[in-house]
Amino acid sequence: MDVRAQVSMVFHLDKCIGCHTCSIACKNIWTDRKGAEYMWWNNVETKPGTGYPTKWEDQDIYKGGWQKKNGELKLRGAGKMRGLVNIFHNPHLPVIDDYYEPFTYKYLDLIESPAMNDQPTARPVSLITGKPIDIKMGPNWDDDLGGTPDYARNDPNLQGLTAAEQEAMFQLERMAFFYLPRICNHCLNPACVASCPSGAIYKRGEDGVVLINQDVCRAWRMCVTACPYKKSYFNWGTGKSEKCILCYPRLESGQAPACMHSCVGRIRYLGVMLYDADKIESTVAGSKNDQDLAQRQRDMLLDPFDPEVIQAAKENGVADSTLKAAQDSPVFKFVKLWGLALPLHAEFGTLPMLFYVPPLLPVMASLSEVDNDEHAKNMDPVAKHWNDNWLYDTSTEELWATIDKARLPLKYLANMFSCGDESKVKDVLKKLMAVRIYRRWKTVGDIDETKAMAVLNDVDLAPETIEDIYYLTSLAKFDDRFVIPAAHREQAIEMLEFTGDAKGSAGFGVTEKPRRGW
Amino acid sequence: MKIQFKCMVILSLFLSGVMALGQDEGEKLFKQVCVACHTINDGKLVGPDLAGVHLRRSEEWLLKFIRSSQSVVQTGDPVAVALFEEFNKIPMPDNAFTEDQIRKIIAYIASNSPGGPGAAGTGGVSPATGKFSNQSLQGDASNGEKLFTGNVRLSNGGPSCISCHNVKNDKVITGGILAKDLTDVYTRLTAAGVQAIIGNPPFPAMSQAYPGKSLQAQEISDITAFLKLTDDIKKNQEGTNYGLTLLLSGLCGAVVLLLIFKGIHSRSKRGSINQHIYDRQLKSI
Repeated sequence: MDVRAQVSMVFHLDKCIGCHTCSIACKNIWTDRKGAEYMWWNNVETKPGTGYPTKWEDQDIYKGGWQKKNGELKLRGAGKMRGLVNIFHNPHLPVIDDYYEPFTYKYLDLIESPAMNDQPTARPVSLITGKPIDIKMGPNWDDDLGGTPDYARNDPNLQGLTAAEQEAMFQLERMAFFYLPRICNHCLNPACVASCPSGAIYKRGEDGVVLINQDVCRAWRMCVTACPYKKSYFNWGTGKSEKCILCYPRLESGQAPACMHSCVGRIRYLGVMLYDADKIESTVAGSKNDQDLAQRQRDMLLDPFDPEVIQAAKENGVADSTLKAAQDSPVFKFVKLWGLALPLHAEFGTLPMLFYVPPLLPVMASLSEVDNDEHAKNMDPVAKHWNDNWLYDTSTEELWATIDKARLPLKYLANMFSCGDESKVKDVLKKLMAVRIYRRWKTVGDIDETKAMAVLNDVDLAPETIEDIYYLTSLAKFDDRFVIPAAHREQAIEMLEFTGDAKGSAGFGVTEKPRRGW
Repeated sequence: MKIQFKCMVILSLFLSGVMALGQDEGEKLFKQVCVACHTINDGKLVGPDLAGVHLRRSEEWLLKFIRSSQSVVQTGDPVAVALFEEFNKIPMPDNAFTEDQIRKIIAYIASNSPGGPGAAGTGGVSPATGKFSNQSLQGDASNGEKLFTGNVRLSNGGPSCISCHNVKNDKVITGGILAKDLTDVYTRLTAAGVQAIIGNPPFPAMSQAYPGKSLQAQEISDITAFLKLTDDIKKNQEGTNYGLTLLLSGLCGAVVLLLIFKGIHSRSKRGSINQHIYDRQLKSI
């Protein structure tokens, strides 16, 4: 057993309101630079939709991630032989139009325009060429102005759904969507690291953050092809690739990453997970059935309360503070303890360590026709009177019926979160629904106790667990959501150099002449 | 008597001056243009010896022939055709002389032909008497090769022969195909002809290429020596004149390369994935 620590994350999709605050926070801190304008280390996608870059989930186009060949794990579009053949011409790279051509507006024209008959306008200009452009795309064009049906119908996750099912998804009355915020998954089996011909990408030992060494990167861009999540971006200004660094300077000083810190819906959780590094290869390549990859990944993660695990972790140099953080980790609870969070597209084989609690709301709700007249009579005449008779119904007459009649087909969610295994997503949704039903009995009281308890029995969760889930979902404070282990940089430094060498050359009693002149 | 004598002297001076002027222009033109290929009473060169040509041919025929020899040959004129055949089918270049100038040249030829007034003293007019003869070839063939290929620049700055001419000589890369292949030029024209043409190019394109850049005497004999050598050894040479073959093989190579590139790129992503979405939206506007 080779126990290692990984700082990992859970995003609770039911709570995401799609405000893009996370993206802006990240952009302002890290990618507001020349050559990085088009990069969104954090982006929020509307699902169903094509995502960013367009159709990134379709590996027939981009050839990212791992695939099994004769029982061996191989990179699909990069790797040793293929990488060498394509080293000067990487055929599957996304082009800038697959992302979007970054733009700004000539705001100064609004102020400096001379007096004329017409109002001045701020024309859009490309941030690459500086010339006026017609804006074709944005990082979430599906959501902004682009017209969702065009994008939603091209969602790669729709494969496996019958034509009738797809059509049903896009009927006006049934149309539903949710948001999918994405950052680098800091995978356990990162394809970008495996693909880099220069060895510039590495996974940090102490917390598993995947980083690109800017001094070593030689712009081969194999990582851009290899990453199935397309979270490695090429900076055309510096000629180096860049990616999400999980705000490691913030992590090391005990702060949550900027995207998580700024999250308005408080959907993001961050904590340590312990995993068995010996099982990485057997987990990804071991089974013939890819559908249970999400489950096998969950099995690979370790219980930080297990004495054996603690012993092995200590032998491996995992600090006590990290172990404590792993025990308090909200990620451990969501992923391992309660089994609520699932990895996104585990079938890519990279063992992503960003987990998602799938959205319940568009699944659970149904529409029914009701008569609102009685209700309207009681309202003040000046009040806004809704004269449509549709009810967005989230009531639960039959326990699990709404899940099967979901507006978003389970198959669609399963394609994203459980390699197409519907039962797995259904399990999670049932648990989430059980929490709601239980809490509804407690707070609203329109559901009777026997029914609430029957639901709990059905999903095999104790009332205390339900309360815990409820707490961490709805009430959790900052320190509950982000359990950040001490970085122990001093230990890392001592591994490289003897700190005694610098003793007496800094601090009190040391004078250094100020540098003057030039 | 004295007055009469004086008048005679003045008149004769005047007349001789006028005659000398006409004589001078004819001589100038002849030595500038014709002398590259023709002599007067000094044997055949590239073209025939012109001594007494004014007696052999009518003036009308000469006028036509000097202006444009090939058009006369093409009319089927038996004399012109016979001459063309006799002199290795080397066409005499067209000349843009006026009728008056041609008459003056003919007059100059007449005066230098045997029995003419100028013939006695000179003993014939040739490119540069005695200098170009088949016997006195002192050129250095290896230097001639360098001059021909342009490895050594011509001293007066004229273009190297290889820019327009080709020879079948394995030491020399394939030359231009704008002008005639010079492999067997030595056999065709002999040393005197070759030297005369190099020294005073009669062909319009060639004379245009060397305005005021005429070759030095040593350069001329070097190149001639090289051409002689080339002519001598031509049977042993492989011949690198690819001509059309080179062009065709280049084209075939380009096609093959393009196919290979297409093969290499066949798996590549073309354009952006979202283009069809954008196009559809534009169509619906």
